Amino acid sequence: MARIAVLSSAVADQIAAGEVVERPASAVKELVENALDAGAQAIEIAVEDGGRQLIRVSDDGCGMERDDALLALERHATSKIRSAADLVGVRSFGFRGEALPAICSVSHLVIESAAADGAGTAVYAAGGSVTDVRDVARRRGTTVSAARLFYNAPARQKFLRGTRSEWRSVLEAMTSIALNRRDVRFSLTHDGKVAFTLPAARTLRDRVAALWGAGAADRLLDVEDVRGAIHVSGLAERPSDVGTASRRTFLSVNGRVVRDTGIIRAAEAAYRSTLTAGLRPSLLLNVIVPAESVDVNVHPAKAEVRFRDRWIVERAVEDAVRRALGTFDASASLGVRTWSPGGAWTRPGADVELLRPASREMDGLFQPVSGEEDDVPFAARPGDMPPEPAFPALVAATEVAMDVIVPPLLQLRRTYIMFEHDDGVVLIDQHSAHERVLYERFMGMLERGEAPSQRLLFPLTLHLTPAEGEAFEANRTLLATLGFEVEGFGGSTLLVHSVPMPHPRFDAERCLRETLATLAGDRDAAAHARHERLAATVACKAAVKAGDELSQGEMRALFVSLAETRLPAHDVHGRSTIVQLSWPELERRFGRQ
Amino acid sequence: MRFTISREKLQEGLAAVAASIPAKTTLPVLANILIETSDKGIRLSGTDLDIAVSTEVAADVETVGAITVPAKKLSEIARELPPSPVKIAASGEQRITLDCGRSHFKILGLPRDEFPAFPSIRFSESWRIRSGDLQKLISHTSFAVSTEESRPILNGVLWELKPDVMRMVATNGHRLAKMELPIKATGAPSADLIVPPKALEQIRRLFPADEELEIARGENHLGFRSPFTAVYTRLIEGPYPPYDQVIPKDNDRVAIADKVALTSALKRMSVIASDQTHRIRLSFNSGMLRFSVQTPDLGEATDELALRYTGDQLDIGFNASYLLEILRYMPTDEVRFTFKAPERAATVQPEGWNDSATYLCLVMPLRLVD
Repeated sequence: MARIAVLSSAVADQIAAGEVVERPASAVKELVENALDAGAQAIEIAVEDGGRQLIRVSDDGCGMERDDALLALERHATSKIRSAADLVGVRSFGFRGEALPAICSVSHLVIESAAADGAGTAVYAAGGSVTDVRDVARRRGTTVSAARLFYNAPARQKFLRGTRSEWRSVLEAMTSIALNRRDVRFSLTHDGKVAFTLPAARTLRDRVAALWGAGAADRLLDVEDVRGAIHVSGLAERPSDVGTASRRTFLSVNGRVVRDTGIIRAAEAAYRSTLTAGLRPSLLLNVIVPAESVDVNVHPAKAEVRFRDRWIVERAVEDAVRRALGTFDASASLGVRTWSPGGAWTRPGADVELLRPASREMDGLFQPVSGEEDDVPFAARPGDMPPEPAFPALVAATEVAMDVIVPPLLQLRRTYIMFEHDDGVVLIDQHSAHERVLYERFMGMLERGEAPSQRLLFPLTLHLTPAEGEAFEANRTLLATLGFEVEGFGGSTLLVHSVPMPHPRFDAERCLRETLATLAGDRDAAAHARHERLAATVACKAAVKAGDELSQGEMRALFVSLAETRLPAHDVHGRSTIVQLSWPELERRFGRQ
Repeated sequence: MRFTISREKLQEGLAAVAASIPAKTTLPVLANILIETSDKGIRLSGTDLDIAVSTEVAADVETVGAITVPAKKLSEIARELPPSPVKIAASGEQRITLDCGRSHFKILGLPRDEFPAFPSIRFSESWRIRSGDLQKLISHTSFAVSTEESRPILNGVLWELKPDVMRMVATNGHRLAKMELPIKATGAPSADLIVPPKALEQIRRLFPADEELEIARGENHLGFRSPFTAVYTRLIEGPYPPYDQVIPKDNDRVAIADKVALTSALKRMSVIASDQTHRIRLSFNSGMLRFSVQTPDLGEATDELALRYTGDQLDIGFNASYLLEILRYMPTDEVRFTFKAPERAATVQPEGWNDSATYLCLVMPLRLVD
C-alpha cells in the first residue's frame, strides 16, 4: 500500500484553518474584519460560551448575491484583490481568501446575505461542504453564524481554554478592532449580556472613554506628530498616572492592528527619565507610513508587519511621544481635568498626503512673547550693577531669556512656586523642577564634553569610604567632564581643585559628597547608562532644596529654564514637577458650576 | 516717661536705628524700637539679635522711663508730622501718646522688660580708630564675602588688628579682596575678628568719616562706639582659611590696562557669556588683549584692547562678573593684573595709587575647553 497520499481538500482546509483560526477570538476577528471590508457602519457581535457554541457577526455592509455567497466558501476566493500586483499597498483587512473557508471547515456555518433590503440568500454549510441554500428575506448586509467551532477537529477542541479565558480573548480582539475603527458602531454580547455598545466616535479619546470610562481617557495625553512621511497619532499615558491602572497597549500601522514590540519600546524610550524603573505606560498609537514602505503580508493573521526602514519609524514614534510628554497637558492634575469631545473627524487610515503637519508652536504653559512685551528685568543683568560700591545682594544675577512670558510667581512653604495659567492654578515643585533643568544641562555637558569649571582658592578635601572611593574611580572621567577637577590624595582622600558652577547657591562640596554616597549605594550601574545615572544624581544633589527661599529673580530664572527643557513636567525620578488645579475643578468646589 | 523732642531729631534717631529692625521676625518685640530717657536726651535702640544699633538724640526730658513701640509705625508717623515740637509720654507700661501741633496719636507698645539686653562689652580696653579708615577698608573688601551657607566662616569679613596696621580680607573661595592700612600705634592687643558684613554696612552708614570710634570686644561680640551712637554685632567663630598662602608671590606675567576701556569691553562680552558662569576667554599677547566668548545655543563675540603686557603669551578663562565687580572697586584709572598660568590665581591691583593703603584683589580662573 502506498505510504504517501494526497490529502483530501477537506482535510487540507482543516489544517489550513489552524493557521488562520486558532481559537474563537481569531474567528471573531476574521468575521468582523470581513464585515468592515464590506463597508459596514454598524456591526453586532454575539458570542455564546466563549465562542465555542456560537459566534454571530451581523453587519449592514454591501452584502452578497447568491453566487458570491457560495463562492465565498471556496479557498482563495476573495473580492479584495485580483492579482499579485494588488498585494502591494493592499488596504483591505483581508485579502487572502482564507478566513471564511477555514472557519467553514471547522464549524456549522450559516451565511445570510442580501445586497439590498428584501430578497436574500441563506447558505448552510458544515465541515466545509454546503448542505443547503435557501431564499430568505432580510435587510441589506450579511450575518455569519459559526456554531460549534472545531466540532470536527478534536485536536483543536482539546486545546481550547475555559469559557472565561476564551471570552477574554474575544473581548481583547474586539477592543483592538473597536479602537482601530472608531467610525463604526459596535455592539458585543456574550451569552445574551451586553459587553459593550459603542457609538461611532469622532476621536480615539471618545472611543477610549466609551470603552473604559472618562477617567481612563483623562489619564491619556494626545500624541500628534508628523515626521517626513510618517504620521504618529494617538494617546499616551500621563507619566504621573502610569502604574495606577492596568496597562493597555494598542498599535495600528496604516489602519491595521499589529503587534510590534520595537515600536512600543521606542515609545517607552520617550518616557525615559520620567518614570520609576519597572513601570510601563499605556500607549494607544496609530502610525501611518507610506504604503510602499511597509509589508503587511508576513503573518497569517496579519498581526505583524515588516518595515522597509524600521529605525526611521521608531525614531518618529519616540519623538512624537516625547513631544506629547513635553507639553503642559502632561503635568499631573488635581481633581477632574476637562476634555471636550471634539476635533476633526478623521477616518483612520487616511491618506498621508491629506495630513497636515502638526504645528510646532510652543506649548500653552510657556507662551512665546509677542514683540512689544518688555517687562523682563534688565536691571538684573550682571553688567549693569549699581555704580556705588554696594553690599552683595543675595539675588542671583539672572538674565531672563527673551522668549518666555513669566507670570507673577509666588513661593509657597519655600517649596512650591505657584502661578496662574489659562487653564487653572499651577504649582511647580522647585526642587523637582530645578533637578529637571540641571539634568538636561548636565546631559548636554556630558554629551558635548564641555563644562565650565571654577578653580577654587581653597581646595576642598573629601574623606571617602572605600565604597565611595570605588564609585569615584568608576565615574572619575565623567565627573571631570562635569567640571569637578579632583586629585586623588592617597586612597580615601580627595582634593577638589575645581568645581562646576551651575547656579549661585550651588554647594559643590556637599553635592560631590552626596553624589558619591548615592552612587556607592547603587547596585545596578550598567555601563551604558552610567552617564545618565550620574547626571541624574548630580542634578538631584545640586538642585535647590525644598525649604530654600527663592527670590523673585531666581523663581523667574527657574521658570524660564524649565520652559526650555524638553520634559518640563517630570523630574528625573518619575515624579511630577508641575501640578495643576483646573478652573473647572475649582469652580466645582466653590459651587459655581 | 515724658519728653519733648524736635521733629528733625526724632526722624534722625529713628532713621539710624530703623535699618537694624528685622523685616520679619518670630519675636514680636524685635519689631519694636526701645526708647529710653538718658541724661542728655533719649536713646533709641533696635536689634535683630545679630546686630544691635543704639543712638542718642537731644531731647527735653521731664520724667524718666523706657518703653518699646512698633518701629515701622513710629517712623511713618515721624515722617508725616508737621514741623512742630513732638511731645511723647508713656501712659502705663504698654502705651504712648504722641502730640505734635494739633496731631494726636496713641500707640500700643510692649514693656521694656521684653526687649533683649545688649551684649555687655567693656570699653575700658578698646582700640581707637578713625571711622573713615574703617569705612575705606569695609567698602573695598566686603563685596567679596560669600553668600553660601555652606562655609559660614566665609560669610564674614576677616579684620586683623595689629599694633600698627589693620587689614580686612573677604573671599567666597573664588575671588578675594584684601586691603591694609597703617594705623597709629595703640596699646590695645592684636586681634583677628570675623565680622558679619551686615554689621560693617551699619558702620559705614552710621558714623561720620572724621569721628573717632572706640572698638571693644566682648565674649563673642564686638562693639563700636562714638559719643552718640553704638553698634554691637555678633562675631563669627572659627579659624579663617590661610588666605596668605593662596596669594601668589611669583606671578611673572604682568598686564597694565585702562580700567574704563577694560570695563566696557568686559560688559560687551558679558552680553554673550553664559548666564550661569559668565565665562569669557582672555588672550594676552605683547601689547594686545583679545577677548572671546562662545556660548552654545547663543553665539560668540570677540573684542580687542591695547595694553601693556610683559611675559609669555597667555590664554586664561574668567567669570566676567567677578572681574567687573573687582574693577568697580579699583581706585585708580589704570589697573595691574598679574598671572602665572591658566589654572593659577590672578591678582588685580591699583596702578600708580598714591595712598597709604595697599589693596589687592585675587580671582581664580575658569577652566577653558579647547
